[in-house]
Formats: sequence, C-alpha cells, structure tokens
Amino acid sequence: MRRSGFALNIAAVAAIAIGFVSAVGAPSEQTQGDFARIMFVHVPSAWLAFLAFGLTLAGGVMWLMRKQERWDRLAAASAEVGVFFTALALLTGMIWGYPVWGTFWDWGDARMMSTAVMFFVYIGYLALRRSIPDRAIRARRSAILGIVAFVQVPLVYFSVNLFRTLHQGATFAGPDSPIDEGFVRPLLINLAAFTLVYAAFTMSRMRIGTIEDELDDVEALPDLELAGSGVTEPNLGRDFADE
Amino acid sequence: MTGMGFWRQAREIARKDLMVEGRAGEAMYITVPFGAVALMLIPLAIGTDKPLLARVGPGMFLAVSLLFGMLVAFRQTATDTQPQRELLMLLGTDAAAKFVGRSAASTLLLLIFELVLIPVTVLLYNPGRIDGWPWLVLVVVLLATGLSLVGTLAGTVTLGLKTRSTLTPLLVAPLSMPMLLAAGQIVESLRVERSIVVWVLLMVAINLAMSVIGVATAKPLEETAT
Repeated sequence: MRRSGFALNIAAVAAIAIGFVSAVGAPSEQTQGDFARIMFVHVPSAWLAFLAFGLTLAGGVMWLMRKQERWDRLAAASAEVGVFFTALALLTGMIWGYPVWGTFWDWGDARMMSTAVMFFVYIGYLALRRSIPDRAIRARRSAILGIVAFVQVPLVYFSVNLFRTLHQGATFAGPDSPIDEGFVRPLLINLAAFTLVYAAFTMSRMRIGTIEDELDDVEALPDLELAGSGVTEPNLGRDFADE
Repeated sequence: MTGMGFWRQAREIARKDLMVEGRAGEAMYITVPFGAVALMLIPLAIGTDKPLLARVGPGMFLAVSLLFGMLVAFRQTATDTQPQRELLMLLGTDAAAKFVGRSAASTLLLLIFELVLIPVTVLLYNPGRIDGWPWLVLVVVLLATGLSLVGTLAGTVTLGLKTRSTLTPLLVAPLSMPMLLAAGQIVESLRVERSIVVWVLLMVAINLAMSVIGVATAKPLEETAT
C-alpha cells in the first residue's frame, strides 16, 4: 500500500511536469494571448471537482449500504480534495476573467455563482464532519449530507446551458468543438495529470484518515495497568549509605 | 401512533410543534421583530437614497427572509429532547411523517414571518407597484416551503452537536441560495415583464428534491439521533 502510494505520488509529479511543458508549448491564443494558458489549470480543476464530489456521493451511498469505514474515508478524502480543486477553479477563473472579461467576478453569471455556492456547500460538509466525534454517526450523517450536497453538481454543470450569461457554454465536448487541435492535446494531458494528482491526494488523505482512526481507537482504550508496573525502582545501595 | 396513518401522524407532529411554539413564542415574539429590525438597519447602513431603497427593497426582503427564516426553521422549540425522541420512537412514529409534520409547521411559521415582513418592507422601502404581483404570493409560499424543508433537514443532521447553532446556518445558507436566486429573478422579471416560468420551475424542482431527500433519509437520520 505504502509502495503503491509512493509510486502514485511520483507519477503525479512527473505528469504535472509533462503537463506544464505541454501547456508552455501550446500555441498562443489569437485574441486572449497567453492568458488562455490558464485554461490548462482551470478546466481540469473544474472537472476534477465534479469527479471528487461524485466520489463523495458514491462513498456515502456505499457506506449506507455496506457500513464499511473505507467508503466513509473515501467520501471524506474526496470532499476535501474536491474543495481544493473548486477553490483552484474559482481562483484561476477570476485571474483569467480580469484581463479577458474585464472583471474578476460577475454577480449575474450563473456558472460563477453556482460554483461558489457548491464550494460553500462542501465547506459545510467538511465542517459537519469535524463536529461529530463518533465515527458511525459522523459517517451516516455526512453520507446523507453528501447526497443532498450533490444536487448542486448538475446545477453547476448545466448552468451554462440553462442560463445564457457571461460564462461560455460547453465548448470542449462534441465533434463541432471550436477548440483548436493544438490546444486540445495539452488540455487532455493536463486533465490526465490533474487526475493523477487527485488520486494521489485522495489516497494520501485516506491513509491519514486510517491512521487518525487507529489513533482514536488507542486513545479510547481504558487506562490499564502497565505490564511492567510490578518492577520497582532499583535499590542502588542508598540503605547502606544512610547507615 | 402505530394505529394512525402517515398523514395523520404528520398532522399530529405539526400540531404539537405549533402548540409548543404557541406557548414559547420563540419564532413569533423574538425572530419576527429581529427580522423587522434588520430591515430597518439596512437603510441606515446604505443611506437614505429613496430611489435606491425602492430598487433594493424586494431583494432585502428576500435576503432577510432567508437569513432570519433560518432561525425560524431550526428554532429550539422544534427540537425534541432525548426523552421526547424516545417516546415518539416507542409510539412507533414514522420518521418520514415526523419530517413532513415538522416541515409543515415550519412552513406555516415562515409564512407568518414573511407576511409580517412584507408590509414592513413596503412601508420602509416603498418599492412601488410591481405588475403581476399576485405571482409574488407563489414566490413567498415556495420560499417558505423550501426554506423549511432545508432547515428541517439540516436541523436533523446537526441534532445534538455542540456546534449546532453555528453549523446549521452554514449548511442551510448555501443550500438555500438557488432558491434566493430564483425568487430574486422572479421579482426582477416581473418588474421588466419577462417570463418567470423557468425560475418558478426551478423553485418547484428544488422543493420537490428536498422533499424526496428529506423523506428518504428521515429513517437513517433518526437512528443517529438516539
């Protein structure tokens, strides 16, 4: 387990390096110039946020069905990593938005607003987890909240189709995609690299979760008398010295 | 309660909640005046520019309804103590009926809350006449229902936690934002005479989704509450 985790971490670092090189090597966009390169981080981050919250939902449902702790750990780890990627997607979107749209934030934009709402919903999910010390109760309640929270995900995804606001519609999917071939390849490489990073983060967080649970189990043990308590302090001849 | 049908159980739970609230007056005598004070504070904070206040008035009403309506939805009087929960379980009360009854009681209280705040908003902000205002009645009802469903669900999820009073608003506020957005867009669309169908459908869909989730998860959530 530890060896495979190490290999995954190395693979993630290598993939990110390849992704960076491919992003730098991509052609400059006609109107946006180099600002378009932010999309190599923004788009994979947004996709992975959806994947992460999907796995949080799946982990919660599986916990409710099987009652195995590893599913709850998957849900928790995936939610944490999902919040990270959502924050990254929001931040990179704002950085890109200022030079291209002329504003960091647009209150009327459905995609921005719904993504921000999704971010806070999952912040609430993580806050709930931290508030419940009992593992079984925490797993059950957060599994249910994970199901409720996932309602936001399709709302975010389809917001660009439902509401015609500032954010462009789905441009990547379909044969009529307006994205240039020279841009698609680095985007796919970065998507693969970010997916590896997601997997590495999630697995590491799951391992930490296992260790935390083991520590809780040890701390919950009653204070037993130690096996060596029958051994007394050695007499170093003080009795004789006093005489 | 085992001899009672589902809807009868839900009605009895709602009646019990309303009776407890009627005796304590937590929502009506504390939260309602608090909401009215909040509506008075905003003009003091943003200035007494009358056209501006008339423009933001409906939005302020919706925001205050959401923020203070939360307090109504997870008021202390809607929280069962451990012996009360055990008694209801021994009586064989259906967990889903409990959710429906509690949500119904909260919806009624929220409607009263909103009905008190509407004249306060009109008096303080003078938003002017909005064509198609009867649609606003539907908005008020959908907002109250949605908020009470989300509030009841979040209140059950955080039951018994030390951080309940701070955690519940954190859960309810983002989940209620799509409803606030839809309600705001309906008011704006009525003002400029645009179609409101999509936004009404969005509010209905959210209410339906929350009802289904609340009923489906009532039983497993009840198991963690004992």
